Amino acid sequence: MSSPLERIAWHWRHNAKLELWIAWWAMVVFYQLYGLLFFVVTRVQPPPPAWWDAPTVVQWFNDNHYGLLVGFGICFLITGMLGAVNALLAYSMRRMSVSPAFAYSYLLIYSLSAVPGMLLTCVALVVGAMRPDRNPELIRWLYDFAFMAFDGTMGVFLIGSLIWMVAILLDKNRVFPKWFAYLNLCNALTEVVVAPAWIFKRGVFAWDGAITWWLDMVVFVIYTAVFITLIRKMILREDFGTSALPDLVEPEAAAAPPGLVRAER
Amino acid sequence: MTNLASVRSGPHEIDLRAAASYLAKSTRFVPGQPDMWAFVLFEALVFTGYFGIYMVHRTQNPELFLGSQAQLDLRIGVLNTLLLLVSSWSIARCVRAAREGAYRSALSQAYLTLFFGIAFLTSKVFEWSREIHKGYTLSTNEFFSFYFFLTGIHFLHLLIGFVVLGVVVYQLWSPARRSQLLVETGATYWHTVDFLWVMIFALLYVMR
Repeated sequence: MSSPLERIAWHWRHNAKLELWIAWWAMVVFYQLYGLLFFVVTRVQPPPPAWWDAPTVVQWFNDNHYGLLVGFGICFLITGMLGAVNALLAYSMRRMSVSPAFAYSYLLIYSLSAVPGMLLTCVALVVGAMRPDRNPELIRWLYDFAFMAFDGTMGVFLIGSLIWMVAILLDKNRVFPKWFAYLNLCNALTEVVVAPAWIFKRGVFAWDGAITWWLDMVVFVIYTAVFITLIRKMILREDFGTSALPDLVEPEAAAAPPGLVRAER
Repeated sequence: MTNLASVRSGPHEIDLRAAASYLAKSTRFVPGQPDMWAFVLFEALVFTGYFGIYMVHRTQNPELFLGSQAQLDLRIGVLNTLLLLVSSWSIARCVRAAREGAYRSALSQAYLTLFFGIAFLTSKVFEWSREIHKGYTLSTNEFFSFYFFLTGIHFLHLLIGFVVLGVVVYQLWSPARRSQLLVETGATYWHTVDFLWVMIFALLYVMR
């Protein structure tokens, strides 16, 4: 067999699913980096307590000063990858037998959700970290704003999950199994659970609470891992037709990297 | 009028073709879509998480939880439970009637389920307004936070259950549809809502 470079070159020229694989890998890389930046570099996840007083919050900003600046600096660079992620998720709905309205609504909602769900958090925390000598109350205001923007707006994602669920249930092209539609419902219901974070500063319903954050995060991680896997299978099965997707033929996929599917442009 | 594919048995008309079709498929592993059972399993796990967290907090502060629990009206809790248990019974009868091809009876049972569901919903709203009127809200104390949260998230499941019942009625309505699979899938969801309530009732109202 030829060298890896030659294989990549071959795929670049001939693989009909190249764009889909690029978007899929963008999704995988984005979620890996997202986890690394939010959990390790900036340490904003798991979120620090909502009940902290101003001096403790200032201390937290000082302790994480460089992590916040560098981590979110990288975060702004990679956020654009979300475009490919959302496009791929919308593509899965366009491949279904349902109205294109599902894909477009989903794309619109998820693209807008990135603003309160991620970017506002990053901006507020970077602003807080940038000038550690700022008034402590102002720093705490930025802290509250950042974490409420991140956790408190999860309801926005609820509608997106429900749109995907209905699309899968109505679909006749067998793009996804029906159980994934129901998993979307589970995910949507845990987004609702985050709502009490607007009321509580302590306990299981605060933004760092066992129900509001920990349980929700477990469901979200499972949900994300499942849809990344199912979208990979969808790409492997894709025949660029308009009728039902064919079943997955595993031997080829197992013997070669995901992009190696014998489909010519 | 003679129809060889149907016989009259008491008040119900039995569709033999539907019954035969059901029997032919009765080797299925579970009733309804297996996919819905994945949902049941996943929701059961999520609620196990909620219940586990509730139990941990209850163990840390038993006096507060017992004192607050005494403020709940057990009679309303029992009424809630009975309403949902009866609704589960009627949806089970709906499934059985649909299996036998007695669609008119199945439709009546689906409406009955809807009625008991609405009765539960009304009694729950009445109970909430009573508690709020007495001064107990989501932020009163830990017990009432869990009380409003658990009953609230269950309420949401019930509202989705009405959509599911709508699908069941839609299926039973026209001879052109009548998917036994979807009727049983809807019933599975409804039983899950009932099952979750029984757990919530035991934890919030009964356990001392």
